[in-house]
Amino acid sequence: MNMHKYEKIWLWFGTVTLFVFLTVVGISAFYMGNKPPSCAVTIDPAKAAKEAPFNEPGLTQIGDNEYQLTVLASAFHFNVGDPEGIIEIPKGATVHISATTSDVIHGFELAGTNVNMMLEPGYISTYTNTFKNAGTYTLLCNEYCGTGHQTMAATIKVVE
Amino acid sequence: MTQAPIREPETKGKKDEEENEFKGTFIAVMLLGLFLIASWVGVWILFLVR
Repeated sequence: MNMHKYEKIWLWFGTVTLFVFLTVVGISAFYMGNKPPSCAVTIDPAKAAKEAPFNEPGLTQIGDNEYQLTVLASAFHFNVGDPEGIIEIPKGATVHISATTSDVIHGFELAGTNVNMMLEPGYISTYTNTFKNAGTYTLLCNEYCGTGHQTMAATIKVVE
Repeated sequence: MTQAPIREPETKGKKDEEENEFKGTFIAVMLLGLFLIASWVGVWILFLVR
């Protein structure tokens, strides 16, 4: 096939780039263990507030520098187990986040971190994150959920 | 037989012309490629440091 020299260079460039990207994603997934949020576990949204672990939301230590954060979202509130909606996490801790909603679809975004999930009624969304940088992060809803959507927030402080 | 030597330089000249014609396209498309790589790497680094 007669192909222009420049076209061949461009095709090689594209092919090599694709394989470099796939290799990086592969190493990230299989070697570094990075994976997207999971929502494989189901729950009855009407009973979510009464069933474990969502009957007692909040932060619990489960190991050496390892925590479980359970959050129950509902219109228009994140129940993080603290009346003020503030959670403190030590810097460098690995936190397994489990969250669900008892009513409509909510977002679960911890602005400035990689934590960004969708909470769907009937599903438990999970994500594991290591908090490498200290600071105050806002947990907010990024799925329009109703008239009080903009007030739906909590605070997560990563402390030294 | 006499036509062959005349045709040859004609096609060669045409090829050079074509190459020049595509030079701009090639540079533009390479710049686009570099932009794609730079943005991909940027997002990847952002994911790693956060």
